[in-house]
Amino acid sequence: MALFEAVHLHKRFGSRVVLEDVSLAFEAGKVSGIMGPNGAGKTTTFNILTGRFAPDRGAIRFEGRDIAGRPPHAIARMGIARSFQLMTLFDESVVVENVMLALPAFRAAQTRVATDVFADKALMDEAREVLALVGLGHRAFQKAKDLSYGERRALEIGVALAADPKILFLDEPTSGLGAEATRSLAALVRRLRERFTIVMIEHDMRFLFELADEISVIHWGQVIAHGTPSELMANKWVRRSALAEVA
Amino acid sequence: MTTPILEVDALEKVYTKGLLDRTPTFRLAASLRFDEPAIVGLMGPNGSGKTTLFELVTGSNTPTSGTVRVMGKDIHAVRPKERDRLAIHYHQSYQVRHFRSLKPSFLMDRAGADYPIVHLFDEPQFNTQDGYIGFMLDFFRKLRAEGRLVFLCVHPNERFHLEILEEICERFVFVQKGAVTQAPDWASLLALPQTRAYLGSLLEPTEAAA
Repeated sequence: MALFEAVHLHKRFGSRVVLEDVSLAFEAGKVSGIMGPNGAGKTTTFNILTGRFAPDRGAIRFEGRDIAGRPPHAIARMGIARSFQLMTLFDESVVVENVMLALPAFRAAQTRVATDVFADKALMDEAREVLALVGLGHRAFQKAKDLSYGERRALEIGVALAADPKILFLDEPTSGLGAEATRSLAALVRRLRERFTIVMIEHDMRFLFELADEISVIHWGQVIAHGTPSELMANKWVRRSALAEVA
Repeated sequence: MTTPILEVDALEKVYTKGLLDRTPTFRLAASLRFDEPAIVGLMGPNGSGKTTLFELVTGSNTPTSGTVRVMGKDIHAVRPKERDRLAIHYHQSYQVRHFRSLKPSFLMDRAGADYPIVHLFDEPQFNTQDGYIGFMLDFFRKLRAEGRLVFLCVHPNERFHLEILEEICERFVFVQKGAVTQAPDWASLLALPQTRAYLGSLLEPTEAAA
């Protein structure tokens, strides 16, 4: 059984069908990719999988439990983390504090009266470990607003990882990144894949074909193709496209 | 006798100048029949009535006369919200549904299906750069293999558009000035004088191909 699966999802917004019978399965320990042209329903799929919207019909199962319709915080607590396409960081706080705020232990520590939570050594160590993982160990005491765009993306992923999730969803992680930052991000995803199950929605096909174990192609609100990068690449028209240069 | 997947019988849509001035400005007439699953290529100049035909087949536009039956069901008698369970119109990347009906839904028929039988793709964005063409074509083949009827409307302005149509479509429909002609295969489509006039230089062998 897959770690995470969506079965026969349907979603309409008014008279517009955005998802029509979408089924997806993400295996533990793998990097799964979702791609599709603009307006194909990728972000809606992402928002439904991560609990932002409930599907009209269909089931979403994580470790065998149906999570469709549960509130986002309940879903997060089960071990499902997501990053956002628009970054949500505390710009005036230093990098390590951004991560500390997202640690589950931070909430508990907050209830202690008259202590400076940010001075808590155990929390600090835990947050610095996360920063080391995302390659920001050397930036721990810079303000978040002073990071480069690529570093901010890495920090965003660090914030998502602070809760030590079992599965990490990344929404268009390369959006807005230049070639250099995209390469660092690819290296980061390769490091993370050893510890986490990763699902990413991505419009940069080359990035996805290089990193994903399997890819689902969404168009017209449906899964129109699915396979490993080499299976998808076997298609004559794909080989004729610019994607062929990746292989 | 088996029920055809799609039967368009003496279908007519007439647009007039106005409510009072009934001078016809456009008239679309079609009779079509598809008994078997197939991928059908549809082409014709802009303004010839291709999209109107798709709208009439999916029941989002009301005909002046004639009927459209999908698996024997008169689509215009089916509840508007359920019509897309029989025939569905994809406009480039999103799915179009604008249904209006004066008759209350409960007086109308149920679709009786959960996933549409007829799929009409209106000018999907084909571009050779991104590789999506291959995935789309495989999707059309999958729908057909499941026993569905697929329409692919393409406005060919590049040679590879013709390659796509020739590769994937088994039957063809040509629309011009509201007249709808069925062609059983690629060769007979290209033999039609209106097709030759429409495609013009796209049909000439290119230097690369020669």
